[in-house]
Amino acid sequence: MLRFLLIRLLRLIPTAWGIVSVVFILSRTLPTDQLLAQVLGEQLDVGSRTITPAERQAAEQAVRHRLGLDEPIFYFSIQRASTSVGPQWHWNGLQNQYHRWWRDLLRGELGRSYRDNSPVAQVLAEALRCTLPLTLLAAALAVGLSLWLALWMTQHPRGRTFLLTALYSLDTLPLFVVALVLLYSLANPDALALFPAYGFGSYELADSWPEAVGIYLYHLVLPILSLVLITLPGLIAQLDASLQQELQTAYVITAKAKGLAFWQVVRHHALRNALLPVVTLFTDLLPALVAGAVIVEVIFALPGMGRLLADAAATRDYPVLQAGVLLITLVRLLSHSIADSLYLRIDPRIRSSS
Amino acid sequence: MNTPLRTTNRRRLLASAWLSFVLLLALLAAWLPLPYAPATTDLAHVAEPPLQTAAAYPHHWLGTDPFGRDLLANLIFGARTALLVSVPAALFSTGLGLMLGSFAGFWGDTNLRVALGYWLASGSALLAAFLSFAGFWSTTAFLLLSGFTLVIVLATPRLRLLRHLAAFPADRLVMSAVALLESIPRLVLVLVMAAVQEASVFNLLLVLSFTYWTGPARLIRADLQRVKHLPYIEAARAAGLSDFSVLLRHALPNASRGVRTAFPLSIAALIGLETTLSFLGIGLPAETASWGRLMATVRLEPAAWWLIAEPGLLLLGTMLALRQLAGTRPTTV
Repeated sequence: MLRFLLIRLLRLIPTAWGIVSVVFILSRTLPTDQLLAQVLGEQLDVGSRTITPAERQAAEQAVRHRLGLDEPIFYFSIQRASTSVGPQWHWNGLQNQYHRWWRDLLRGELGRSYRDNSPVAQVLAEALRCTLPLTLLAAALAVGLSLWLALWMTQHPRGRTFLLTALYSLDTLPLFVVALVLLYSLANPDALALFPAYGFGSYELADSWPEAVGIYLYHLVLPILSLVLITLPGLIAQLDASLQQELQTAYVITAKAKGLAFWQVVRHHALRNALLPVVTLFTDLLPALVAGAVIVEVIFALPGMGRLLADAAATRDYPVLQAGVLLITLVRLLSHSIADSLYLRIDPRIRSSS
Repeated sequence: MNTPLRTTNRRRLLASAWLSFVLLLALLAAWLPLPYAPATTDLAHVAEPPLQTAAAYPHHWLGTDPFGRDLLANLIFGARTALLVSVPAALFSTGLGLMLGSFAGFWGDTNLRVALGYWLASGSALLAAFLSFAGFWSTTAFLLLSGFTLVIVLATPRLRLLRHLAAFPADRLVMSAVALLESIPRLVLVLVMAAVQEASVFNLLLVLSFTYWTGPARLIRADLQRVKHLPYIEAARAAGLSDFSVLLRHALPNASRGVRTAFPLSIAALIGLETTLSFLGIGLPAETASWGRLMATVRLEPAAWWLIAEPGLLLLGTMLALRQLAGTRPTTV
């Protein structure tokens, strides 16, 4: 068991390395003029006096050096020489951006954000502090609700038809439409102003901690609701299909024949087997919700991981972008391994065959 | 509860009618007698509700957005953008997935056995092609490489060393590429890749195609692994057909059913991705009309329900119709 997990974890390393390298190379091959101009504009007080082109060039060089952009990108570079016959391969040695990024990463340094020069690890930690409660709560709610609804549906055939149809149409809409509809119908002074429209409110200023938690949760209702609504259709459809399939099997008929109540048959016999194909969906929920958080956090103005990624992508803040992608990839890969080991734990058939 | 055949047919008819209506609008967008161009800003009539015939002439039948742009024109041109991005992207990604998936599924890890000599030959040919394609043209290197390729190809049937068969790990290669791409949530991957590209329809199309092919590839691989053990494939092999024609003429027509039904679904998913990206303001140039961008303007005017309702209903109708075509109804058996 432990050995299996260890092997799985070791296998993750090349995948994570591949993804992050691709993102690195892709992002660094782009022109950085816009970024430089932005940083320069902040640094030089252009209004007070005119600067000569030479001064500007020197300042640009200094910024490049500070951001580490003056070094070559990769271990080697190919230059097309106009005079000689072939391409020029140039070996850059270990003084390159790629090597430095990995060296710093292994030392636990993620670099500094281009935008406000704060450490990336700190930026990520702050974002996670906002995103983790949101996604964890949403995931827990989605799992709980889908289990409960799937069980409820086994006993209410008419409600089942209605619910499945409703979820089916809900499933067609992209998340941002669902979130927008919720926001502008339930948190809108022009419609129903039941919930706050953005942010977390001032929960730090609350008198006691139950009140603080209350304010916090009150602000999270709509974001969580939209995340749950968007994940529910897939979960319930799968769970319901596998429950219905289990209910046709011989062991269920036996259980009924020996006089068990239908509820007990479902709860103790069918559900356990029906959960098997759904385990992957459950473990995939958290990484999937991080992607969903991109949209929800933009719409509800929450300072979380998803918004951080979207902003970093829009402003080309590469250190933040890269660290974020690395983090999400690791979580996703980890959850895959957890799913695999869960399968081993809960299904003896797989255990005996492996 | 089985839905009767007639209802199913009626639903499919409705779905196809709606889709052809949207398609026609998108195709004829440039020639329709629209009172306003999508980018024209009518600053005298900003954020106007639909059907206010008294206000402006020519009328803004479906209202205007907070910049005074006509909603009707933006919806029609937005439909054009959505289809222009999603349909080619779905075609490309399905084609790519079909190729790679059938490569992996049909030959697996052990069945594609190629003589060592041909390995070397294709390697050097690829290198030559890459060098000349990438623009690092040098006559000596190119001549050397192509000469080497030719010599190896001619020598392979004669030398025992080069005739040694080595298996090509097709399945492992393709599946690790799939695992690599799927280890990031798709939206994050597309977001990052679209953000580091210049914003244009073509770039967005490329990004979507190269991130979306994994789904069709997995489908076709799974189906081929099932189909290739069926007796009729064995019969085709016994009749002396080559691997390639067995795959193309016999295995694929049977195995590609899943991909064919999933095709409308992938169009729907890609429309969803496109509108989401435009909503976030990434991927498409700012002046391109898009449903997602239209919905993003509601932030400036929270009371303007029509800015959500109109594109939202269009989107809902299109997605439902595409799903209906794919034949996935809620399974209320």
